[in-house]
Amino acid sequence: MRVKIVMELRDVPGQLTKAIEPVARLGGNIQGIMHQRERKTPLGRIPVMLVFEIKDKKTLEKLLAELKKNGIAVTQIGESIRGVKRTTILIGHIIHTDIRDTIDRLNGIPGVRVSDMSLAMSELGKDSSARMTITADSEGSSNLAIKKLRQISEQKDLLLITSLEGEE
Amino acid sequence: MRLILVGFGNLGRGLGITLAEKQEFLKKRQGLVPKVVAIVDETGALVNDDGIPSAKFVAMARSGKKVEKLAGAKKGEIVHDTIEKVAADVVLELTPTNIKTGEPGLGHIKTAMKSNKHVITSNKGPLVVAFKELDALAKSQGVEFRYSASVGGAIPVIELARKLLAGNEVQEIKGVLNGTTNYILTRMGEEGAPFDMVLKEAQELGMAEKDPSLDIDGFDTAAKLVILTNSLLAINAKLKDVKIAGIRKITPEAIKLARDAGQAIKLVGAAKKGMLEVSPKMVPLGQPLAVSGSLNAVTLKLDLAREISITGFGAGPKETSSSLLGDLIDLHRTLGC
Repeated sequence: MRVKIVMELRDVPGQLTKAIEPVARLGGNIQGIMHQRERKTPLGRIPVMLVFEIKDKKTLEKLLAELKKNGIAVTQIGESIRGVKRTTILIGHIIHTDIRDTIDRLNGIPGVRVSDMSLAMSELGKDSSARMTITADSEGSSNLAIKKLRQISEQKDLLLITSLEGEE
Repeated sequence: MRLILVGFGNLGRGLGITLAEKQEFLKKRQGLVPKVVAIVDETGALVNDDGIPSAKFVAMARSGKKVEKLAGAKKGEIVHDTIEKVAADVVLELTPTNIKTGEPGLGHIKTAMKSNKHVITSNKGPLVVAFKELDALAKSQGVEFRYSASVGGAIPVIELARKLLAGNEVQEIKGVLNGTTNYILTRMGEEGAPFDMVLKEAQELGMAEKDPSLDIDGFDTAAKLVILTNSLLAINAKLKDVKIAGIRKITPEAIKLARDAGQAIKLVGAAKKGMLEVSPKMVPLGQPLAVSGSLNAVTLKLDLAREISITGFGAGPKETSSSLLGDLIDLHRTLGC
């Protein structure tokens, strides 16, 4: 699971190590650290936002306990980042044009995965319909995925319907 | 205000009846006394310099006759001659749309402008084919040119943007601009019925043409999008610039899958700088564009007001009369005639 926390660190050397060492030790993968120096607290502490991937909720709780033990104040906990979700509809010979290949090509884009798929068949030989949800870790990779799906749809003669939601 | 009605089909007759029915209202509330001094179509012309009496006009409109069959009409192809020679302030060009050539409306409008008459039209054809040319001709001739009724039927989207939102720059236009396709998609969703079956039902109800391709293949939406793009985004767009996909391939299963995800499938026309597209899109339920039945809706993205959406009936003689009459009153106020 992907987690974002905000902690307040004293503005002295070695504080950040105290905060990130337990994350690494518990198998977490840090994806971003951001110091918010402009939001320094009245007691002179610096808010630091930490984004990391961690195994599960139980491990997260263990981590939060360790941080507390190290004297680190966590002000925002466990706000998970869901990524950028885009829902699309495909109509055509979805299975016969190798649905596996369609999904693999999308999953091949870094930071993109097909996170949900529902298929509805119609009469034999007629077009089937699918709803596909694509989750990406950024707006940029989400747009790349939609662009890729557009190309695939053209190659496979599928009608792609995207949503106005989230379109730029 | 002296009017020439060009085209005496559903719209021409509808407008004639509305003018007669609202005679008192127009006089009292707007100070407008419209006089139809000529009705003309491809078969002939009926001219009455004093104005055709409204009772007579209504009877003629209800008879459903072509102009040549009306009492006192002159037969023959005399449209241009009538527009040119009959003394009038405004020509209402209401002939059927041809989005490929723009004719016969394009020629009628040019003749009217060249003979120094103001023009109001509901006809998409001339605007799609020659927007810039007509706009320039109107300016050089010093005449007014109004076309509210060409897009969105009763929805005053063009005037809304040009007048009430005049301080804004329109950045993007998105719209459900075709009632027939919207009706078909709505019914497919309600009944779970396939496209062909619902299209047939729509044709039987008179909601779709015998040759429905203009609507269902997206050309009508594209034509309206071209007009909106020219008039509101100030981009010189032509029909060939629009990437068009229609609704033939949509299945009831796809509509259900979309609905399960909180979305409706609509044929949407979208325009901004560098992008002109008509295609089926998913619209989140509850958003202004997720209108049902034969309704139309337009959302404008603006630099100051952010977003403004407007919904209403996009077709029908009475609904279109609302826009035509709006233009007429606007000309009356602008010109004082």
